[in-house]
Amino acid sequence: MDAIRTENLTKRYNLGWGRGRLLALDGLNLRVREGEVYGLLGPNGSGKSTTLKLILDLVWPTSGAAWIFDVPCDKVVSRLRVGFLPENPYFYKYLTGAETLEFYGRLCGLSGAALRKRTEELLELVGLTRARDRRLSGYSKGMLQRIGLAQALVHDPKLLLLDEPTAGVDPIGSKDIRDLILRLKGMGKTVLLSSHLLSQVQDVCDRIGVLNLGKMILEGEVNQLVSDQQRLSFTVQELPETGRAAVEAAVAAAGGAVVSVEHPQTTLETLFLDALRKDKRGAGDHD
Amino acid sequence: MTDARHEWVGFSPRRVWMIAVNTLTESVRQKVYLILILFALVLISSASFFSQFGFGEMGGQESLEQLKFIKDFCLGAISVFGMLIAIVGTAQLIPNELENRTIYTILSKPVRRVEFLLGKYAGSALLMLVSVVMMSLMFGAALKFKGDNHLKMARQEVSRAPDANAAEDAMRQLQKIHAAVYDPDVVKALVLVFVKLALLAAITLLVSTFSTSMVFNVAVALLIFFAGHLVGPAKEKWRENSGAQFVLTLIPDLSVFNVADDMILGHAIPWLYVAKVAMYGTVYIVCVIAASHFIFADREI
Repeated sequence: MDAIRTENLTKRYNLGWGRGRLLALDGLNLRVREGEVYGLLGPNGSGKSTTLKLILDLVWPTSGAAWIFDVPCDKVVSRLRVGFLPENPYFYKYLTGAETLEFYGRLCGLSGAALRKRTEELLELVGLTRARDRRLSGYSKGMLQRIGLAQALVHDPKLLLLDEPTAGVDPIGSKDIRDLILRLKGMGKTVLLSSHLLSQVQDVCDRIGVLNLGKMILEGEVNQLVSDQQRLSFTVQELPETGRAAVEAAVAAAGGAVVSVEHPQTTLETLFLDALRKDKRGAGDHD
Repeated sequence: MTDARHEWVGFSPRRVWMIAVNTLTESVRQKVYLILILFALVLISSASFFSQFGFGEMGGQESLEQLKFIKDFCLGAISVFGMLIAIVGTAQLIPNELENRTIYTILSKPVRRVEFLLGKYAGSALLMLVSVVMMSLMFGAALKFKGDNHLKMARQEVSRAPDANAAEDAMRQLQKIHAAVYDPDVVKALVLVFVKLALLAAITLLVSTFSTSMVFNVAVALLIFFAGHLVGPAKEKWRENSGAQFVLTLIPDLSVFNVADDMILGHAIPWLYVAKVAMYGTVYIVCVIAASHFIFADREI
């Protein structure tokens, strides 16, 4: 059973006052398999958020249909299996972290000891136990995203829809969220996330689809899409300068061609996170 | 795990209540309402001091005038501050939900749109109930504080009466003052003020289901509030014009809820009238909420 299935999902928005209609999504056929992390990529306005909203029945398709675990999306019951983190959420800023989760938990039918237990579990999972009694108006962007993830998980859904989960979050917060997504995958959850931050998606997604102007223009397994099957790279340690010539000669003798020889680079993100980790005073505003 | 295809999420009053309580909590923690209510409370409690000026020397008739002034002033203050809380409190509910994205997090849970809408309205009605009750208690305290003073003086008049006739007059005056202080019509007037505010909140909610701007919501609600007070006279004026009569029926006649003037003039307010007007308000609220639901159920978010 697919976690999400869409058939020819199309959405046109009326611009109103005779300005015509905007084609936001054009015949999308999407399948998200149970247990995978799927990344929906694309520039702003490519139809990512519209896709998520159509799946959640917040907007309605002009044509086509969508299902969550084979339940049509226009049925309220389909939402028993899905949790949603919207883009840039602010939540009820006068509630504390714990109160926020208790409110959403109650909406999903939890109460009493079960509700308290679930709230504590989720605060622990997203690392906000120490900030549980602080009002959300005092939360940083990264903390808001994490409480957002926690509220999406409150009814223990099998599927999570995350709209730009790392947008606007600093590199540490973004790393935390990506680690969380991987933990959730380990717990057997299916995740559909939308993003335009490509390098971040690469680390967590099993498969990706690229949307542009409402159409899917590329889809596949991340590993296969990004690996260049025609080329091979070696990373060698402590090779003297004379050895390099020998290697190049060996490659040529075997019928290959050396395209480039360079020192491998770390990413700026790794460098940044390492520097913060080494700072004894701690990092960022976490908790 | 059970198969979702065979499950059903029905309408749940519990979820409506949760959303209502959350809406109330959110409003109470916004300082603006507390300040409004505090201001109203100070104003109401000061009514008993204002009334000491400009009414001349104390006497039976003056006492009654002072008590009338307190009632008129306090009912007016409750009505105006209640109107502000009803309109501003309700006009921002849906625009805020959209701005903070909380509407997405709620409607993407197994929650029906009608539950969300009813919860928001109930939260707003609860806020008004709390405000009206607080202001009414302060009003009652001001009336009793002032009334007890006058009763004390009236009793002294009775005991100081030189002859039987004067004693009887003073006694009659004492009874009148007692009736003015412990006046059941005050409760009736307050009940009708609350129903009027609840109706005003429902209309504001209706406007906010199709608009996204809080300023627009407030402006339209204020317009309807003022128009609502002019419906009665307008109906009289255009009695022959059936088109005008139809349009005027769509606007709620808010003047029927104002019984303060009758009360001040000493006209009795029968419970039957209160029941009829409350029923009129309730039916109107149900119709307005139903219309809000039809618009909101069809709105893309």
